[in-house]
Parts: sequence; C-alpha cells; structure tokens
Amino acid sequence: MSLALMTPLQRLAAYAKGEPIDRLPCVPIIGNTAARVIGAKVSQFRGNGKLIAEAQIASYQKFGYDVIRVFTDLYTLAEAMGARVHYPEDETAYLAAPAITSIEDISKLQPVEPSRDGNLPSHLEAMQRTVEALGHEVPVTGAVSCPFTTASFLIGAENLVRLTIKNPEAVHRLCEVALQSAIRYSAAIIAAGCTPSLTDPMSSSNVIGPRQFKEFSYPYLQRLIEFIHGQGRSVTLHICGKTEKVWQLMADAGADCISIDNDASLAGAVHAVGDRVRIMGNVHPSEIMLQGAPEDVRRAVRDCVAQAGGSPKGFIVASGCSLPTETPFANIRAMVDAVAEIGWPVDADILSRSDS
Amino acid sequence: MMLKSKESFFIDLSDAVVDMDEERTVTAANAALEAGVDAYDAIQQGLSDGMARAGQLFEEEEYFIPELLMCSDAMYAGLDVLKPHLKQVGESRGTIVIGVIEGDTHDIGKNMVRIMFETGGFKVIDLGRDVPPQRFVDTARESKADIIALSTLMTTTMDGMGTVVKLLSEGNIRDGIKVMVGGGPISPGFAKRIGADGYAVNAAEAVKVALELVGNA
Repeated sequence: MSLALMTPLQRLAAYAKGEPIDRLPCVPIIGNTAARVIGAKVSQFRGNGKLIAEAQIASYQKFGYDVIRVFTDLYTLAEAMGARVHYPEDETAYLAAPAITSIEDISKLQPVEPSRDGNLPSHLEAMQRTVEALGHEVPVTGAVSCPFTTASFLIGAENLVRLTIKNPEAVHRLCEVALQSAIRYSAAIIAAGCTPSLTDPMSSSNVIGPRQFKEFSYPYLQRLIEFIHGQGRSVTLHICGKTEKVWQLMADAGADCISIDNDASLAGAVHAVGDRVRIMGNVHPSEIMLQGAPEDVRRAVRDCVAQAGGSPKGFIVASGCSLPTETPFANIRAMVDAVAEIGWPVDADILSRSDS
Repeated sequence: MMLKSKESFFIDLSDAVVDMDEERTVTAANAALEAGVDAYDAIQQGLSDGMARAGQLFEEEEYFIPELLMCSDAMYAGLDVLKPHLKQVGESRGTIVIGVIEGDTHDIGKNMVRIMFETGGFKVIDLGRDVPPQRFVDTARESKADIIALSTLMTTTMDGMGTVVKLLSEGNIRDGIKVMVGGGPISPGFAKRIGADGYAVNAAEAVKVALELVGNA
C-alpha cells in the first residue's frame, strides 16, 4: 500500500499493528467549528442531523484529519433527561437549568430513550449519515458524556459536589441513572455504525480530587467502558483540565486511549501510563489554536510530538479539548500539515527546529 | 475550670472550618461569644484564618472544590452567629464586582473566588453568571468599585472579558477600576492581551492578586 494514499482507517490500523505509516494520527477536535466550514449558524444544528452531518463531512474533507466526532455541546444526554439547555443564535449551547434541584426528585429521573428524547435522534441521524458517506475511510464517533458529568447537569454542579461529601448515596443514585442513559445512547451509537467517544469534564482534578474520582467517577466509567468493549469497540476517554492524579485510574477503568488537556503534561502521561494506554493531546485550544498564528501551531505540534511521539502504546496529535467555534481554518490546517511534515518515523531534526 | 485563652477560641473556629464541620463551627462561635471574645477578632482570626488554611490546602491539592465548598458552608454558618455581635465593622479592603461572563453558566469557580475575597476582607458584589459586559461596568461605576473580577470556563465566552475592558475605556473610567480575570481557558498572556490588570490561576491566588491591585498586599 502506498503510504501517501493512506486513509485514516488504514493509518490507524497500521499504527495499532506497529506497521509503517505515513504520519502520526492527528485529531483537531472539531465541534461547532464545522458550522463555519459550511457557513451555517451554530443554532441551525439544533434538531438537524442532516446539517450536522453535512458540516462534519465538509470539515473532514477540508482538513483531512483522522477521527470525525459528532459533537455540538456537552448537554445532549442531560437535556434528553430533562435538563434545560439554552441555544444562543450563533454560539455553543449552555446549560440553563439542571433537570432537578432536590435529591427528592432523583427517583423521577429516567434513563433516555435515544430514538425519542431531546436531540439524541438528530445526533444519531448525523452519525448515521456521516458514516454512510465516509465510514469506509475514517472512524466516525459520537460524543457521550460520562455519568459523573451528566449527574452534575442533572442536579447542578455545586449541588453535586456538596453531595459527594454530604450524601454520597444520592450521588451514586444520580450516577447510576446517568450510566444507564450513557449505556443506552452508546448502544444506539454503535448500532448506527459509530463509536462512542467519552468525555468527562466534571471528573477533572480542577473540580474533584482523586478520592472522589475513585468513589464516584471510576466505577461508572469502568462499567460504561466494559459495555462498549463488549460491543467490540475501543474507547477514548477525554477529561479536561488537570488529570495527572487520575491517569492510572483512567487506565484502570479500561480506556484504550486517554485524551488530555493542556493543563496536563504529555511527557508526564507518557511516563506514567504510556505503556498501558494510547495518549492523545494536547495543543492549547484557546491560546494556540484560537489565538495563535500557524507558526505557533506548528511549534506546539512539534513540542507535543517531542514529548509523546515515542509513547509505547502510541500517540495521537490532538487539541487539548474541543476547538473553540471560531478557530481559524489556517490553524487547523497548520496542525495537520505540521504532523505530516514531521512524518513517520518521527524526524528528530524537524522536532529540534526552533523556528517554524 | 481553667479559663481558655482567646487564641484557643480562634484555633477552635479555624479548625472547625478546615474540618468542614458546620455544627462545630457554630458551637465554637457561641463559645467564643460567651467567653467575651470580640466578634470581629473571632471572624478575622478564627473563621477567616480557617478559610485561608483551606485555600492553602486547595493550592496544595489536598482539598478540591467539594472540600472548599464545605469549608465555606461552615465559615458562613459561623459568620451568621458572629455577625450580629460585631461592634465595629472592620475597614473594608476595597469593593469588588464579580461575575461570570455572558454565555457561560459555570459558576463554581467564581463562587470560590467570591468566598475567598469575602474572607480576605473585601466587600463583594456578586452579579452571578451569564452577565452582559455592560452590567459589570454599570455596577462598578455605581458602587465605586476598586476591582472588576471576571470569570469564564469556556473558550467561547472569553472575548466578553475584553469587551468589559473596552467599555471601561470608552466610559473614561478605566483608570479608577482594576480588572482581573481567571477561569479554565484564561492564560496570563490572554489577560495581558485584553489589557487586564491581573490574572489568577485559582481562588486562593485571586485574593493575593486583588490585594496587590489595591496596593494592600
């Protein structure tokens, strides 16, 4: 096979087997930036799977990265369980009100019905359409928020973190129902021919400590990942912010790849868990990708590869988190180009260049 | 019975806050009042000291948001007991208008910062979350605030911070009001670029920055 003609699927498969590849995999995590690619307003994505698919397909074709991830905002699952989400005309949606305000109402929460509730049907349609168009060449994933994070949107973040100390049993009940929703949605995503992509921002060490992570995040992550593995899919787990103290637990939970933010050290992650999981990260989404120039992006990519390019279980060059909507196209292109320029095996001379 | 020293009441209060124990904080506050300890001293050297220690544990990553919130619950419970007995109000170190920028409803971080400001001796006006830039400016003008403190967790709403600085300049009141910023996606570089006066990485540091900004470090 000609290396120059590798599709993302071929590249990822060869990389996993330790066979030659043309370049490292590269994933600028595109969410609502896809709207900009087709000149749409972010709010047009609401309830419109066809448009989300069109945008994601166009974005992939424009930049040629290695994973498509259908994602508009973090609240899809919680919204389907009753949380209220506000949709500004042309910016990312945000949580307006949690589904419940008191622990008395936890018993009223029901796991989602993915074919019916909230915006899940349109997101599933987006995945289905994208996989129909591109599934033969690139992995298509759908974002699934993990139980502890969904729980925070169900009862409010401040409420939830207080409950971790005041009423752990209530937190477990919330996480349990959130887990059932995540499992059902994951099953629907897999049935659509895609892979669930896990995100758990509230489990960040910027919010809860390793003790709480172990008690409230870990068991549910572990069960969710076990379910997805049972369906024959591998799992990428993203947690924002600081994560150093929970890397081992992220690996213990069964993740095949951990995606880390710019608050965490790639070199540190490689050293700690690089022999257990693939590492993905961590070009700064705002400082570099949104506000930097293409030269800054190239420098940041080289720095990431220098830190993690040789990680035993592999490395994916990625943004530290979902890209801000207005990330310049030139910077996304620079990211993919820089990875191609470094090539494979990694060209140490290119890495050591301090100019751009 | 041996008489307890004033200091030992302060230590009880401070420890109860650090231990996240609301009930014990209330008991310690009542005990201090009964023994004739000045309410102002009990707040400053007891409760505030406890929150400062909690902030230190947060910086050292021994405590996280849940613990810090529980400490602040205990601190406020103690404050409810002591406040009615304040003889003199201590001199405020300045007035701060705080809030989360429009488009963002994540307010845990902002609430932590507010608590640390209050225990650090500032008068705080909390505008809540999802606050339009103009409201920060109007409120700061009306209250003759020394500092506007802006928070956001989202990359999508960062630009609102720059808007606040711009509005202050356009209103010709930029000189009298310091602007400090913080939150997940914010970096010192970003703070500098939008013309902010200060940046803090977390709630504990925010107090130190605020004190520097009002020349009271």
